[in-house]
Amino acid sequence: MFKHLFKLIWNKRRQNFLFLSEILVSFLVIFAVFSFLTYYYQNYSKPLGFDYKRVWCITYNNGELTKNNDSLKIFYDNLQKALKSMPQIEEVAYSGANYPYSDSFSSTGLTQNGKKFNYIANYTVGIDYKKVWNVPLLEGRWFLPEDVVSNNKNIVINETLKKQLFGNAQATGKLIGNYDEKEKLKVIGVMQDIKASGDFLPAGSAIFNPIDTAFHKYTHNILIKVREGADATFESQLYKFMANTVKNAVEIKHLDEMRNSKNKQTIIPMVIFIIIASFLIINVALGLFGVLWYNINKRKGEIGLRRAIGASGRSVSYQLVMEAIILATISLLVGCFFAGQFPLLSVFNIPASVYIIAMLLSVAFIYLLVLFCSLYPGKQAANIHPAVALHEE
Amino acid sequence: MIRLQNIEKVYRTDTVETLAINGISLDIAKGEFLSIMGPSGCGKSTLLNIMGLLDEPSKGNIKIDEQDISRFSDQKLAKFRNQKLGFIFQSYHLINDLRVLDNVELPLLYRTSSAKERKVLATAALEKVGLSNRLKHFPTQLSGGQRQRVAIARAIVGNPQIILADEPTGNLDSAMGNEIMDILINLNKNEGTTIVMVTHDESMAHKTHRLVRLFDGSQVQ
Repeated sequence: MFKHLFKLIWNKRRQNFLFLSEILVSFLVIFAVFSFLTYYYQNYSKPLGFDYKRVWCITYNNGELTKNNDSLKIFYDNLQKALKSMPQIEEVAYSGANYPYSDSFSSTGLTQNGKKFNYIANYTVGIDYKKVWNVPLLEGRWFLPEDVVSNNKNIVINETLKKQLFGNAQATGKLIGNYDEKEKLKVIGVMQDIKASGDFLPAGSAIFNPIDTAFHKYTHNILIKVREGADATFESQLYKFMANTVKNAVEIKHLDEMRNSKNKQTIIPMVIFIIIASFLIINVALGLFGVLWYNINKRKGEIGLRRAIGASGRSVSYQLVMEAIILATISLLVGCFFAGQFPLLSVFNIPASVYIIAMLLSVAFIYLLVLFCSLYPGKQAANIHPAVALHEE
Repeated sequence: MIRLQNIEKVYRTDTVETLAINGISLDIAKGEFLSIMGPSGCGKSTLLNIMGLLDEPSKGNIKIDEQDISRFSDQKLAKFRNQKLGFIFQSYHLINDLRVLDNVELPLLYRTSSAKERKVLATAALEKVGLSNRLKHFPTQLSGGQRQRVAIARAIVGNPQIILADEPTGNLDSAMGNEIMDILINLNKNEGTTIVMVTHDESMAHKTHRLVRLFDGSQVQ
């Protein structure tokens, strides 16, 4: 029967072209939706890697402060001590502008055995940065005050970068070249990945550099971890304290709010995309339903004939559903050929598993859609009275 | 072979009730070639559909090959039609998207036979109707007479005991009609196939063993 259906479909390929195209386009749209969803889900299911709760970021303009680096260092050391002495504050750390959930991004490149690694997030952080986020180290150690004045430029890398550079081997103590390989950086520790861009985006590769004296003039951000019970009254006191200290504009942001906002930046476009795709799928479903219904009405004579020569109602219904499934299979084969290029070519640098899972889900979805749209017309075809169908023809 | 007892067929709509067959009883013996004649709308095709188990009578009883088919399920009826009955229609009812050979193979698809077996049987059936040189053609590439011969090949491919032909020569000129009639006569004579044929053509009807005339749903001869 399969061979017979293939022959029938092949001989009617021109009439079936619209159906095939409709399924192909639907598959590609569904594949895109599922690729996004799988990608976001895979990222979401990975641990966040740090504790953002009760972390605030004080952003200020330091333009009015002294330009002398040594004086600045003393100023910042004193400021850190003053903040830490407040009973509501647990930890204090300076940070570059690209702290987690901020909209800033700083990247650099590294060279390892002549191979370039680009788009590595480059964090410049204070000594107590790790304590603020409570991030575990997987290997080696975190920065000590002496690292700032060390002969080597000491860095901490994250888990992802360690895997890219050294695989499963130990990274601590290894030297790697900077972006132009003019300077050697010594890895002193490996930190667990942190999803700094939101729950749905990957951690990516990252290096952490300690803030040195020369960087203080670029320091505009202080990360503080407050204790339970630190409320708006304290926030107001803190604001006044900082405004008086830096004598300039100050802003206090809560990291939990920034996280929500960052996640929304991913969720909202995705929801819009899903809604648009859903409308498309509804249209496609109605289209499929219409095409199948039309085909059945057009093929009443054939259905009557088949009933006359030995097809039961069930086998007529089965034949029509199978025809739709075979047509869908042809479209899906073409669709999978195109979709298969994404994992093969590592498009957008997304793991192949994302595309493969998305392909499988899309195939299952299309089969369910076609099955759903063909069952009722198939059932109606089974109910066509053979004598009436033959007479109408 | 076919026994119809007091068959009635009523078509009902919300407002109208039409009596298409009115108490027809008919016995058709094995190997008989029977023709049914009558004016348009007298119930000839309805009667043939009832004999072919394509339609159910409103009243009465049908026995085919000694089997009471009134209690058959849809599945069993389909199997029975497939094994015992062959159909020939005035408008051929060929599937234009299938080649001649595939059209003839159709009844065998609803049996458990291999592709090779189907091909052998279909080719043999087409040889019987003189179309062995048209296996790969599509129906649209054939003349009316050739199409009807394909339909006959399809009807006989499963080696049925009964062939029901609804105006098989109705769409053909007299030469072609005679050709088709000769094939049916030969089938009846050589294979012993029981044939029931509906026709409007007196000359064709007189070539059969027995003629039944209907008028307004009743048998008049």
